[in-house]
Amino acid sequence: MADQSTSNTQPTEYKSESKMKHIVSFVAMILLTVAAFVLVLRDVVPVAWVLPLMLGFAVIQVLLQLFTFMHLDQKGSLYYILFIAFGVMVAVISAAGIIFMP
Amino acid sequence: MAHHPVEIKPGMHLETATFEGKNKVMGFWMFLGAETVLFACLFGTYLALRNQTVNGPSGAELFDPVLVAVATAILLFSSLTSVFAMMAMNKLDKKGMLFWLGVTVLLGLSFLVLEIYEFVHYIHEGHTFMSSAFGSSFYALVGTHGAHVTFGIIWISTIMYQAWKWGINTETAPKLFVSSLYWHFIDVVWVFIFTLVYLLGMVG
Repeated sequence: MADQSTSNTQPTEYKSESKMKHIVSFVAMILLTVAAFVLVLRDVVPVAWVLPLMLGFAVIQVLLQLFTFMHLDQKGSLYYILFIAFGVMVAVISAAGIIFMP
Repeated sequence: MAHHPVEIKPGMHLETATFEGKNKVMGFWMFLGAETVLFACLFGTYLALRNQTVNGPSGAELFDPVLVAVATAILLFSSLTSVFAMMAMNKLDKKGMLFWLGVTVLLGLSFLVLEIYEFVHYIHEGHTFMSSAFGSSFYALVGTHGAHVTFGIIWISTIMYQAWKWGINTETAPKLFVSSLYWHFIDVVWVFIFTLVYLLGMVG
C-alpha cells in the first residue's frame, strides 16, 4: 500500500515543536539583519570586508530559515534537502556565470 | 487515488499524513529549487548591470536605509507568524491558525504598500524600468519578488477560506503547509535582496 511507510516508520505522535526554538531562531535572524545594516551604515570594518561578511550573514540567516521555519530539521526531509540543494547549485552556477560573463 | 482513512490527532504531522500530502510537499520543494534558479538569474543580471545607470540616479542616491529596514522587519516577522500558524495547525487549533495566517497576510499587505510607495517615489526621481540597465534589472528582480508577495497573499487568503469552511484535515493541511513554505521562501529571497540590492547599493 502506498502509505504503509507512513504508519510503519513514522510515529503518529511526535514531540510537539517548541515555540521557543522558533523564537530563538527568529531573534538570531533579527541580530544577523541588524549586523548587516551596521556593517553598511557604520564604518566598523574595511570596505573590502563588507560584502563577504554581509553574504555570510545572509547565508546563515537563510540556513536558519530553511532548517527551523521551513522544518528541514525534521525527520524525512532528505529528499527536500536534495531538491533545494540541487536548485541552489544550479542557481549559484547561473548567477556566477551571468556576473562574470566577459 | 483512494483515500485512506487517517486518524487525526493533535500533534501529528497532518501535512504528510497521506501519500498525496507527502507528494505535495516533495513536489513543492522541487518547485522551490526551480524558483531559486529563477531568482539567481535575476540577481546575476542585476549585479552585472547595477552600475549602468546612464544619467539616472544610482542606488546609493536612491535607497533609504530606514525604509529597507522596516520592510525587512515586516517580512521577517510575517515569516515567524506563518510558523506559528503551522504550529497551531498541527495542534488542530483552527482559530489560532486562522489568526496567525491573518496576521501574516496583513503584514504581507503592509510590505506591499511600502514597496508600491517606494517604487512611486523612485519613478518621481527618474528611476524607472526604462531609464537604464540598472532600472530594468532592479525592477525585474525586486518586482518579481513583489509579484511573489502578491501571489502569496492571494493564495494564503483563499486557503484560509477553505480551512475556515472545511476545517483542518488531511485535505487542507498539505495546502496550508505548502503555502507557508512559499511564504518563508519569499522571506529567504528578501534576505538576499536587502543584502545584495539595498545594502550593497548603499556601499556603492
